[in-house]
Amino acid sequence: MQGDARAAFRSVTCGGRARESGAGERARARSEARPSFSLSRSLNEIISVPYMDGLSAGDSGCTLVERGGKTRCNFQDLGVYTRETMAHVKESKTGSSGIPVKVVTNLYNLGLPREWQLYQYHVTFSPELESKRLRIALLYSHTELLGKAKAFDGAILFLSQKLENQITELSSVTKRGETVNITITLTNELASSSPVCIQFFNIIFKKVLKKLSMYQVGRNFYSPSDPVEIPQHKLTLWPGFAVSITQFENRVMLSADVSHKVLRSETVLEFMTNLYTRIDRSCFIQTCEKELVGLIVLTRYNNKTYRIDDFDWCVKPTDTFPKRDGTEISYIDYYKQQYDITLTDLNQPMLVSRVKSKQNSTVEPRVVHLIPELCYLTGLTSQASADFHLMRDLSKEMHLSPEQRQQRLSRLADNIQRIKEARLELEMWGLQLGCQVSLTGRVIPTEKILMQEQTCLPMSAGDWSKDMRNMKIIGVQCLDNWLMLCSNRNGEQAENLLNCLKRVGSPMGFHIEYPRISKSDSGPYMFLFRVQVQEPEVQLVMCVLPSNQKDCYDLIKKFLSLERPVPSQCVLARTLNKQGMMMSVATKIAMQIICKLGGELWAVEIPLKSLMVIGIDVNKDALNKGSSIVGFVASTNSKITRWFSRCILQNTGTDIADCLKVCMKGAISKWYKCNSELPARIIVYRDGVPDGKLKMVVDYEVPQLLSVLTEFATNYRPKVSVIVVRKKCIPRFFAEANRSLQNPPVGTVVDTEATRPEWYDFYLISQLARQGTVNPTYYNVVYDNSGLKPDHMQRLTYKMCHLYYNWPGLIRVPAPCQYAHKLTFLVGQSIHREPSLELADKLFYL
Amino acid sequence: MVADLGCADCTLLWMLKFCKCIEVLAGLDIRENVMKEKMHRLSPLPGDYLQPSERSLTVSLHHGSVAHKDPCMLGFDLVTCIELIEHLEATELEMFPEVVFGFMAPSMVVISTPNSEFNPLLPGVTLFRHSDHKFEWDRAQFESWAIHAATHYDYTVEFTGLGIPPPGTEDVGFCTQIGVFMRNHPKNGETVSSEKHTKHAYKTVFKAVYPSLKDEKYLQNAVVNEVIFGAEIIKRRLLGNFKSERKKHNETKLKFQPFKCCMRCSTNLSLAETEKCAADRSTEPFVDGNKVCIPLAKIFLIPKVNQLCGTFEKLNKLIAGKVALNSDGSAVIVTVENENEEQEY
Repeated sequence: MQGDARAAFRSVTCGGRARESGAGERARARSEARPSFSLSRSLNEIISVPYMDGLSAGDSGCTLVERGGKTRCNFQDLGVYTRETMAHVKESKTGSSGIPVKVVTNLYNLGLPREWQLYQYHVTFSPELESKRLRIALLYSHTELLGKAKAFDGAILFLSQKLENQITELSSVTKRGETVNITITLTNELASSSPVCIQFFNIIFKKVLKKLSMYQVGRNFYSPSDPVEIPQHKLTLWPGFAVSITQFENRVMLSADVSHKVLRSETVLEFMTNLYTRIDRSCFIQTCEKELVGLIVLTRYNNKTYRIDDFDWCVKPTDTFPKRDGTEISYIDYYKQQYDITLTDLNQPMLVSRVKSKQNSTVEPRVVHLIPELCYLTGLTSQASADFHLMRDLSKEMHLSPEQRQQRLSRLADNIQRIKEARLELEMWGLQLGCQVSLTGRVIPTEKILMQEQTCLPMSAGDWSKDMRNMKIIGVQCLDNWLMLCSNRNGEQAENLLNCLKRVGSPMGFHIEYPRISKSDSGPYMFLFRVQVQEPEVQLVMCVLPSNQKDCYDLIKKFLSLERPVPSQCVLARTLNKQGMMMSVATKIAMQIICKLGGELWAVEIPLKSLMVIGIDVNKDALNKGSSIVGFVASTNSKITRWFSRCILQNTGTDIADCLKVCMKGAISKWYKCNSELPARIIVYRDGVPDGKLKMVVDYEVPQLLSVLTEFATNYRPKVSVIVVRKKCIPRFFAEANRSLQNPPVGTVVDTEATRPEWYDFYLISQLARQGTVNPTYYNVVYDNSGLKPDHMQRLTYKMCHLYYNWPGLIRVPAPCQYAHKLTFLVGQSIHREPSLELADKLFYL
Repeated sequence: MVADLGCADCTLLWMLKFCKCIEVLAGLDIRENVMKEKMHRLSPLPGDYLQPSERSLTVSLHHGSVAHKDPCMLGFDLVTCIELIEHLEATELEMFPEVVFGFMAPSMVVISTPNSEFNPLLPGVTLFRHSDHKFEWDRAQFESWAIHAATHYDYTVEFTGLGIPPPGTEDVGFCTQIGVFMRNHPKNGETVSSEKHTKHAYKTVFKAVYPSLKDEKYLQNAVVNEVIFGAEIIKRRLLGNFKSERKKHNETKLKFQPFKCCMRCSTNLSLAETEKCAADRSTEPFVDGNKVCIPLAKIFLIPKVNQLCGTFEKLNKLIAGKVALNSDGSAVIVTVENENEEQEY
């Protein structure tokens, strides 16, 4: 649940600034990062019940194009063949090291015989018939010839049985007595692995799920008749499934995962009324617009969603509007007549939404008025996702343990078998839902954590905070010239923090001098003014914030990363109130300060010399949705403990980076400066690639990365690997233990069966899930001339997951990706400009 | 209960499903494919599950001919036949009155058909308005047919129409002529018993049962939701008061903290309700350690809960096992979370 993790993460980092110190990472590590539900995204997804999407087998029309004429997005990234370009993995891409572990997957066999084929025919009518309905009716009157399993969209016919002849001529007589000749020509014999066939299977399974009384929302199916209610927060969850058919390594399989749809049972009117009672009346209209404009609302009476574009405070439900036929009708009467709904509040304003035509984008958007009383909010407002209790109650319902998840999957499989209509739909085409696939993964060994002069083998691979107590960190300069800002009221807490910092610092080997403390009660502006007049040489500015107001935090971060580049550490005064927690809070803050000063905390053994590791992530700017932010973080030493970062704002809203040349150039120059040589190997981890955009990365980003190299020296040919990292992926893995299913151990690698034949890919579980089902991270090596064996690539990737200094444990993605994410997050949320290059060699964005 | 004979693409049924007074809707058509094409519009929307309606509603579609009798068409209050009869073959038309008036025998029948006198005003219409029409009647023909049928089956018929002709041609009558038939005598139970003896002639192609509060499952769900949400609101208000009270205590250096305290909750009750509460002390919520107890009597005063349950006994029954109650089952218990839990450290 990637979105969820992100939302939880945000609630931690935005809500409590002081949680810069790693708490966010805990939330991340805890949550079961997974696409089954992505709060921010899926909630805003349009709730729609398309009944005739794409090809539907049966009596009604069918087409291979989605309704509205748009071609289907290539979610599965079909047609990208990268493995064949890498000679060393052409034969085998599987590793062999580690302890074998048997894992159960959420993949199901389809029971397709090897020789199974789908026959595609082209059908013409003479004379030509305008009406699709008539074409279908005429063709279907020849049932005896075509057999039961057929799908026809008016032109293309799919059959499961081959007709006797290549070309079949038929004739029918219409009711009017007209004779129509039908010619059926075989155009294709499709193997089950062909993309058209996969798409066809997906449509068949959509039909099956509909037969189980499930509703499609976005790409998934939900059961609204069995809701899970969270009444205290006015939320409803619909349980459901994400089901898809994919060509996996050896065969076509069905993958099924549990998904939840979160719905809110609060109307816009209720929200407004609530707001009205809470805030100052004079700025009600303004606040209302600020809070609501841009949100997506659902009107339950017709199940449509609209975006609130504006308010019309002058129009009331008693006013009239012209109907399509030109007559005037009042809003009250309209809803009464059309939907038998009685409006209760006759003074509510109108919401304005501009509805764009889906078919024709050139048509002027139509403006519609909506009644707040009838519009239900969708998605979680920032207010809601910052509500700890709400998020906790939500995750309680949504985080399923492997065992619970398996139960739901079994129930789905059972239903498909048991409900005759659903089963017949499959049997007709010679399909069946086979057994759940088990496979063998490997657990790769635990990494040793290298500290200064000591090493430790963590008790738990996921978390070594206890193991490294009383061990010295690798190195950091003394903190002797720094500034602490706080309000008069928080002076005591600041002193307390300083004492604790000193106490935790010395066993780590981090010497902290007493800072200059500046107290002020005049708010953040005063803070900044003081910083401005300080002499240079300041190593760090620490701010104790009286409240977690975002603008104050943003202002500080903006000023200290643009105008006056100094690493800064913000701490919430509230965090310092917790007596029992002070030492652990101080430890985290101390470690964060070390990173911000450019220090190194720990390392792992890196067997490759002169290896540079790069992480790239692309995010959206929170203020300016049209621009995207590219974060680029590269290691600058062989130990991989120091990092160089670049952050570039792109004015295009795409998720594809077009500034990688300049970033790459900067990173290699920096490496050369630090090591007096060019890196011999470069490994790039690219995170944040949306589904369907893999081809763009291969065709557009990889060449950018490679093109820079020759600029350094004509004979400079480092070994380069580019790996696309995906936090969400289709498969789930469960390990059997004590007769129940559990999460597989940390370090589990899967590189068979659940992978794709055309890619050099593997799954790695590098995160300790305390709750819910762990989500494997998916790695797809799209470019590799390093000749590294798959074993080594997997090990190296696992090592990289150990190096994120904000969390003394394993994380889901390689550390450089997480650093790049943190950087884009800070810039996207607070700074909105490219941070000063003076900070580029420090982890100032933690 | 409304049945639409010759429902075609179900547009009328779709419009009727929003009528809150209708509990059973049925459609019948001889062309299965036409019916199936848009029948999905008759399925409940996901939104209907979020907000189950108070009435129950079942929509079904049957494939069959109006010339055949099927017991599934018995017991309806209204039968509509919109632009249907002109599609019937002579033999079918002959059977039609017996099936509709004699067998189905609803309280009311609405039949519409084109008025052929209007045809000259329609551009391009030579013989009939639609190629499948077997006939088109003028007013006299329709009226005589209708009156004959009405008299035979003891109905009263009135005539009206739709589509006013343009000025100057008023004498052709409405574009579409409509006969509204009312049964003269309430039906006796006899026909219903004949249900057993008639064989099923229609094929059911679609059936949808809408979620309704009449269904215990949805009612319970709705009540439990309202109770928990109501309890939550009361708790928040109570704790809000409690905290501000405590703050005051602290400010005035009062060391003593009442562990168990009882205080009035400041919900926005109307005066009458307030008095009622005052009269019955047992409706006051109170804080007990880290729990808030909200008496069910208080919960029952929440308008929505009251409306959904009707009686206090029903409330008790519906929330049993679904909502945390105190030992004697008289109050809802809401646990107050420790504020420090909020912290991530």
